Amino acid sequence: MMTTTVPAWFADLQDEARAEYDTHPMPSRRDETWRFGNLKQLDFGGYTPDEGSEIRFSIPELPDGVICVPFEEALEKHSDLVQKYFMRNEPRLGSQKFAALHKANVKNGLFVYVPDNVQVEKPIEVSHVLKGSNKMTFPHTLVVTGKNAQVSVLDRFSSANDDDANICIAVNDLIAGEGSRLTYCAIQELNLVSRMIQINETSVGKDATAKAFTMNSGAQWARNEALSILEGEGAHSDMLSCSIPSGTQQFDQRTFQHHAAPHTNSDLLYKNSLYGNAKTVFSGLILVDEGAHYTDAYQTCRNLMMDDTAEANSMPGLEINADQVKCSHGSTSATISDEEIFYLRARGIPPHKARRLIARGFSAEAVEKLGNEALEDAVLEAVERKFSTL
Amino acid sequence: MSYDTSTIDQETQDAISVDQAKGDFSFPENHKFDAGVGLSSDTIDYISNVKDDPDWVREFRHKGLKTFLDKPMPTNWATKDLENIDFDKIRYYLSDGQKPKRSWDEVPPEVLETFERLGVPEQERAFLAGVEAQYDSEAAYSNVKEELEKDGVIFVNSTEGLKEHEEIFRPWFGKVIPTGDNKFSALNSAVFSGGSFIYIPKGLKVKHPLQAYFRINSENFGQFERTLIIADEGSEVMYMEGCTAPKFETSTLHSAVVELVAMKGAKIQYITVQNWSSNVFNLVTKRGMAHEDAEIRWIDCNIGSRLTMKYPGVVMKGERARGEVISIALANNGQHQDTGAKMIHAANNTTSNVVSKSISVGEGRSTYRGQVHIPKHLKGCKNNTECDALLINSHSKTDTYPAITVRGNQHVTQHEASVSQVSEEMLFYMEQRGIPEGAAMSLAVNGFINELAQEFPMEYSVELKRLVELEMEGSVG
Amino acid sequence: MSLVIKDLHANIDETQILKGVNLEIPKGEVHAIMGPNGSGKSTLSKIITGHDDYDVKSGTVTMDGVDLLEMDVDERSREGVFLAFQYPAEVPGVSNANFIRAALQARLPDGEELDAVAYYKNLYSKMDVLEMDRKFTSRAVNEGFSGGEKKRNEILQMMMLEPKYCILDETDSGLDIDALKIVAKGVNAMRSEERGFLVITHYQRLLDYIQPDHVHVMSDGQIVKSGGKDLALELEESGYDFLKEGELANA
Repeated sequence: MMTTTVPAWFADLQDEARAEYDTHPMPSRRDETWRFGNLKQLDFGGYTPDEGSEIRFSIPELPDGVICVPFEEALEKHSDLVQKYFMRNEPRLGSQKFAALHKANVKNGLFVYVPDNVQVEKPIEVSHVLKGSNKMTFPHTLVVTGKNAQVSVLDRFSSANDDDANICIAVNDLIAGEGSRLTYCAIQELNLVSRMIQINETSVGKDATAKAFTMNSGAQWARNEALSILEGEGAHSDMLSCSIPSGTQQFDQRTFQHHAAPHTNSDLLYKNSLYGNAKTVFSGLILVDEGAHYTDAYQTCRNLMMDDTAEANSMPGLEINADQVKCSHGSTSATISDEEIFYLRARGIPPHKARRLIARGFSAEAVEKLGNEALEDAVLEAVERKFSTL
Repeated sequence: MSYDTSTIDQETQDAISVDQAKGDFSFPENHKFDAGVGLSSDTIDYISNVKDDPDWVREFRHKGLKTFLDKPMPTNWATKDLENIDFDKIRYYLSDGQKPKRSWDEVPPEVLETFERLGVPEQERAFLAGVEAQYDSEAAYSNVKEELEKDGVIFVNSTEGLKEHEEIFRPWFGKVIPTGDNKFSALNSAVFSGGSFIYIPKGLKVKHPLQAYFRINSENFGQFERTLIIADEGSEVMYMEGCTAPKFETSTLHSAVVELVAMKGAKIQYITVQNWSSNVFNLVTKRGMAHEDAEIRWIDCNIGSRLTMKYPGVVMKGERARGEVISIALANNGQHQDTGAKMIHAANNTTSNVVSKSISVGEGRSTYRGQVHIPKHLKGCKNNTECDALLINSHSKTDTYPAITVRGNQHVTQHEASVSQVSEEMLFYMEQRGIPEGAAMSLAVNGFINELAQEFPMEYSVELKRLVELEMEGSVG
Repeated sequence: MSLVIKDLHANIDETQILKGVNLEIPKGEVHAIMGPNGSGKSTLSKIITGHDDYDVKSGTVTMDGVDLLEMDVDERSREGVFLAFQYPAEVPGVSNANFIRAALQARLPDGEELDAVAYYKNLYSKMDVLEMDRKFTSRAVNEGFSGGEKKRNEILQMMMLEPKYCILDETDSGLDIDALKIVAKGVNAMRSEERGFLVITHYQRLLDYIQPDHVHVMSDGQIVKSGGKDLALELEESGYDFLKEGELANA
């Protein structure tokens, strides 16, 4: 149990959330947000909420004024700030019920606040290690940047061993203030008997740039919901992901690029390399509000089918309600072409290495867009770790 | 550049209404048979009695009704506007009790005048191999060129088809689109009447198109034609359909089911120019089954109706079968064109192609929904999908919702969609050549769909361009 | 009878682009405007033809006494002003033949139809002057055209529409010498006592083939120097450096 006392507003919020979780219906076949989804994975019977997961922080030297503390400490010491930014909106991509469960149980995580005009160069790193058996954990990452501030945060999710099944329901709220640059990266390497739901909401202010990257390597089933709201003119959002499911892994990703202001642009690139009996679902939506003119929005999902038994589902969507908008989406599913393999073999590279090389390059294309060397390296290392198991 | 739609002047308004005026007339009702208002199992029996259905059809209808009543409205993904259909206020069967005539001279005068005003007999003389003209629930005229009949072509209405040609009709009827496919295919199964049954014998390539024209004359009416086209091995046929209705105060429902069967090596092209009046709910299920080396093409243009929901599909059941959907949609004020394509790959080396272009004008909304499905254990399947949307005014809307499922590593699918406007630079260029803004816009829009418009037979593509011009004229203030 | 620009000031957003341009182009004459990049040459052509990116703050533009600034883009065109664009727009799906036909049709009174046979005859004869392939008529306007094809197409439209005043904006850019000669041939064939030309160019080269009667130098939104065709040669030799010196002298 927690040793610290939580503020009253938070205790109330948690009570409400518990009630909401109990009353909110489970997702059903008829929910468009769960189309092609695996509803069986939502049976959490036999799992108990627990704070057993271990959390490690790796924090670089920080300029004055930057707040970077564990979530429970933030609740105590920076209650007003947390209250202002914590889970302001109900998720829109299908996991309202599980967001409520997270809210009701959240204990640990990270709170970062970077004041106006302050830049943090090196990434702040948090590592969540799932421990115990049949436990549910609810890590929360809340990052707020002031005017013209800059910060990057890396969340790692892993399991203490290969055999204990656990469930992680993580939420991250990213609030990029005017002119700021906020980069967030999650690397998910849970063991193959655990499950993960990650709910992201990014709000991007005037002239701000937000980048959110998700790398899925582990878990038997992972669901990512990523929502980026472009709230101020000149806002820019990059949504990136690379996933490498294999065996019977299933990754279910839902994204939403919401252009709520004019002169905003967003770019999404999700790449999946599918091995074995893996299954992926990608559902993306670009919504351009009425009046959000002069919007540029792009969305691309590419599936590299590495085996004959893998399955990729893509649902790239557009809803355009404004004028002078440039929007496009593309989705492809294909395998490595014989010509590509032949070219590499002609240079003396054996076929299996050629395939690996091409698959690595395929993932790297999304990683490069991060534009942050330390984070790119971290993701590429995770990519290598995954490939070494295949 | 945004254009204010509130400033449509009278002249352009008149120009637009000229087009609708073409189909906007009606004659007093003269029905011997009227199933009355609302839908119950009595309605089904009434229709079955009037049509003297065989028992298996009566049973099929009752099953359809049950499925229809059991199924919820698809508003979990589709527009809430569907809730405005009042099934209790619709009349499900209206006819004058006459058999379809083989000569226009025998058709009742007001029906003849209707089709003459719509140019149907004229087109028949000019370039068609056969015509069926449906007036409310039943065909008023049905004829096919003598030499085709000699060759063994069957072109009759569905009632005649199921009675006179049961051995060919029954094995395929309801097999491409099962009753329970969706709520509206179930409704059609319950109350269907009219539509065409076509059989093209082996190896016969029909040179000229067959045409059906669907005309609604009565208010509060629902038209539920049912079409089944079977092209036997190696045969080819092109079928075209047109439709109009007067603009009544209350809404009208049109809910057809169209099934196509292309046997080994056969080719079917199905062409639709949909120009219902803007109070018609047009909820249509269309699907074809393509066997080995067969090809099915849906060439679909939607300009009219209040709400159209139509996603023509092809089930590629045999190796190397091909499916294609070419679609143009134009959504003006008060219209929602919700169209798309369904491509089901069920054999190796099958290929599908979808090209969709939509134009949203004023407060119009166009939606593309697509489904591409490549199941397990297949190889060499290809899908290419392109959808481009053009937004004309600042309140125009467009959505795109494709869903692509691919299993395995021996396929290629590619989906691309874009949304754009007519660029200011392009308009300036055209206007600098002395072309007025409205004409420049209509030129640009016709350019946008030009490639697809050419897929329609000449007579239709000229009509299409004219319709688009009329629709566009009011779009710039 | 001339195209007259008087004390023209114009902005794009808040930036002043033209700062008092004065120019008179009488019918029968060819005037060239030269000047460094960003001097306002192309802006001037857009303002004369009515592009709405620019705000005219003061001054007048009249054509044979008619106030152009009061008219819409297409009205100005029909009144007789033609711009050969530096970067002509692409119009996908609309064939060249249909496009030029629509432009000519717009010049006819309501209810009058263009004579299609005469139109094609005329079109083909003009294309022959410009050494254009017949297939060109069915291609979409400027779509997939090479730089040279685009410029030729501009001159073809000019020949077909027979404007009173022609503005050529950097028509030589992107042209090899053979294409340049063909384009010049078209322009020279159009020269007459009934028509005025304004040739905007960065380089003197074009003026070897289209000999101007007058040459003007534009800098920082104003005409800073005018002279005969020798001025162009002078500029070719010594460049625009004198402008900087002039600025220094003013400073």
